[in-house]
Amino acid sequence: MSYFKDSLKRYGSLSLKNKIFSSILVVVLLISVAIAFVARWILVSSLTAELEMRGSAVAHSIAERGGTFMLDKDYPQLLSLIFDEARLHERKHLISYIFITDQGGEVLAHTLTRPFPSELRLANQVPQNENRSLRLVNVESESIHDIAVPIKEGLYRIGTVHVGLSKSHIDSLISKLRLTFLGFISAIIGIIFFLSNRITQYITRPISKLTRISDELSRGNFDISLDFQEDDQNWRPTECPAYVNTEMPCWHFDQSARQAATHRTCKNCVFYRKRSGDEVVQLGDSFRNMVWSIKLYRRRLRESEEKYRSLFDSGPDPVFVVDCENFHIADANPRAQELYGYEKEELLGMSYLALGPENRSDCLITYEGRGGGTGCLYHPKVLHYKKGTKPFYVNVHACPISYKGRHAIIIAVTDITEMIEKDAQVIQAGKMKSLGEMSAGIAHELNQPLNAIKMGSEFLALMEEQGRTASPEQFHQVVVEISAQVDRAAEIINTLRAFGRKAEMLKERIDVNKPIGSVLTIVRRQFELDNIRFNLDLGQNLPPILAQDNRLQQVFFNLLTNARDAINDASQASDMDARRSIGIRTSAEAGGVGVDISDTGVGIPDDVLDKIFEPFFTTKETGQGMGLGLAITYGIVRDYGGQIRIDSEPGRGTTFHLFFPQTH
Amino acid sequence: MERKILVIDDEQPTLNMFRLLLAAYGYEIITAANGAEGLEAFERERPGVVLTDIKMPVMDGIEVLKRIKEIDPHAEVIVITGHGDMDLAIRALNLDATDFINKPVQRVALSQALKRAEERIAIAKSKAEEISVEDVDGAAILTIRGSVTARSEPFLARAMERARELERPRIILHFDESASTNGAGLALLTQLLLEARERGERVCIAGLSENFRKVFEIVGIAKLVVIYESDAAALAAP
Repeated sequence: MSYFKDSLKRYGSLSLKNKIFSSILVVVLLISVAIAFVARWILVSSLTAELEMRGSAVAHSIAERGGTFMLDKDYPQLLSLIFDEARLHERKHLISYIFITDQGGEVLAHTLTRPFPSELRLANQVPQNENRSLRLVNVESESIHDIAVPIKEGLYRIGTVHVGLSKSHIDSLISKLRLTFLGFISAIIGIIFFLSNRITQYITRPISKLTRISDELSRGNFDISLDFQEDDQNWRPTECPAYVNTEMPCWHFDQSARQAATHRTCKNCVFYRKRSGDEVVQLGDSFRNMVWSIKLYRRRLRESEEKYRSLFDSGPDPVFVVDCENFHIADANPRAQELYGYEKEELLGMSYLALGPENRSDCLITYEGRGGGTGCLYHPKVLHYKKGTKPFYVNVHACPISYKGRHAIIIAVTDITEMIEKDAQVIQAGKMKSLGEMSAGIAHELNQPLNAIKMGSEFLALMEEQGRTASPEQFHQVVVEISAQVDRAAEIINTLRAFGRKAEMLKERIDVNKPIGSVLTIVRRQFELDNIRFNLDLGQNLPPILAQDNRLQQVFFNLLTNARDAINDASQASDMDARRSIGIRTSAEAGGVGVDISDTGVGIPDDVLDKIFEPFFTTKETGQGMGLGLAITYGIVRDYGGQIRIDSEPGRGTTFHLFFPQTH
Repeated sequence: MERKILVIDDEQPTLNMFRLLLAAYGYEIITAANGAEGLEAFERERPGVVLTDIKMPVMDGIEVLKRIKEIDPHAEVIVITGHGDMDLAIRALNLDATDFINKPVQRVALSQALKRAEERIAIAKSKAEEISVEDVDGAAILTIRGSVTARSEPFLARAMERARELERPRIILHFDESASTNGAGLALLTQLLLEARERGERVCIAGLSENFRKVFEIVGIAKLVVIYESDAAALAAP
């Protein structure tokens, strides 16, 4: 059993050529041997039988004719008869002897030229009722087939004829026949050997060639000749338009494009071709088509790779590929090195979190598909660090990607330092403009405490001049009043300075009532001089929001001055009956703080409402406003993740609803 | 004595200080925190002098001035304006305010304004000649006291005639310390000076109070004539 297994194993490891060859050979050999055995058996047995039949025929003929001579006891006639039969032509080689015995077993005549061997006389006796007996006898070391036939006269047996057939003659005949047959079989095997060799070569040569070509292709050598048969001069795949234009889809190349239903096929495809021929030719064609497809795809792939590589390298913004498992930077473009100040060798492998810690949870979020429609995340205005931990502001896009078989994110960074500076400048300019508009009112506001101080000190000076002494009560009153008025002036100045100062970039936790209070310090009295009343409803213990006090002051300042302008558009300050009031309400809302600022002004028409936050949009007369106030307001509120909603009814007034999310 | 004074201002600290200061000057003070209250107090007390702030909520000083002048056209109303706000001051003068002082209020300015008001009241009471003509060496001097208003036109015209009759090389318009003017008075003066320039007369102004010098500069009278500190300076000028 194990030997059989070993043979199978050894057979399995043979080359295809040897496999086919040896299989054919073994099968032909087996068949030949089987045929040889069957043929030999048939030939030998039928030849032997035929010769024996012939011997029997001779014996019967003698028995028929010799009966008379035996009855007449004419033994010389009988002898001449058997001699004639034995020596007739070729029979003399076959027949060794003929002898006749009588009923008693006495030899009456024989053809032997030597004394009759006595053991032969009774060696083969025909049993009663049989008309023939065959037996192999040995006479003087010679094997002889003895055929005995009884001689009958009527119903009585009167003697027996024995015909001896030489076994060596029969054997020589058989061996001659066997030799001829063996030669014939050998010739057939030889022919089949030759033919099978040719067939296996025909089958396996293209396969070997395919193997060789495949090996070359694997090594990247696509310039080898691909034709397995004769050169096909008409086949020029480089003329295929899809080969030159990589944008052109062709379903022969691109099965995936079929789903997009945009595939097209040329009427006469110069590329795809099947020649008539056997399976080997068709296999060769298929293989050639496949190789050309691969070639084309490699071209497209290389082109695409080059295209995206150059996009990556020449992009104006830094791009990182960050491994999601350990946040190591797997790749970075030259702009990233330039902006962050690291060498490429330093960047690769370093942790991205050293540049910007904001993206720590991005991998998880994008992996769970919470990144929105494109799967990407956006972080506006986050702080990143250059080499040497110098901070700067950026916008960050993070998109999931598979990079070298690993889960990664592509992080595109936009340096917005300049933009933020510009923003700050615009906001600052807007603020300065507001301050300029308010300067007259502020001067008046400052003049009030100055006036009280001046008059108090003038009173004391007057007393001193006239040599009088102020009473302790008067003195106390003046001193207390002066001190209070200095505080009041100082507060106005501090508020102004805080408002005019450039805002810091960092957000802090603040109570929204605080900037409202500061702005009211500046504008309240002035608005009241304009006959505008304030209705304040400021909620206590509001949750803190993440913002900048200074910027929020600007928001409320803009909204309050707009409200005043709207009121002044609706009615005159001197109109005693007009409703002239501004309401400010702050309250805790779900998830944050709401601020409502309402006025009794002219209101905003519907067709203007959606444009009102656009920069440079203004309803005021030329020279009255730049149209930046609400745009700046909107920008600031959005910066803190807040929202602005407007309810307005032309002729009755406007309410600005602001919402800021609370910080935790 | 009748030295009642009404002060209208929405600033309580300012009112407090006015009370101290004016008491030191010997006035009886009535204060009001807004225009409506002030009018009520004026009706009730009829003070000789009214000091009112202009910028006040609800009813401002201009409105108060108008209402007081409706009640009593001869009332001495001094308006208090923000520092250097001459536009408002002139607007008040056009509405027959007799004088103005700037905030922060200087003791000197206040006392002079009060003194001028007192003198104007005294002149009005004594019915004295508001405009007199004097002949000095090299000039005819018109001395103007009290208020120059629309009513002053015939007196001023007559005085100019007399000054011309003196045939001096120049005419000096001397404004007394107490002199005041309003919008109509300014228009009258401007017309007079333009007329003199057409005639080729040399007219100059002297002795004008600081307040009115500013007003003259703003309304453009200063461009028509030269304004000197005093008569002596005017005479000394070439």
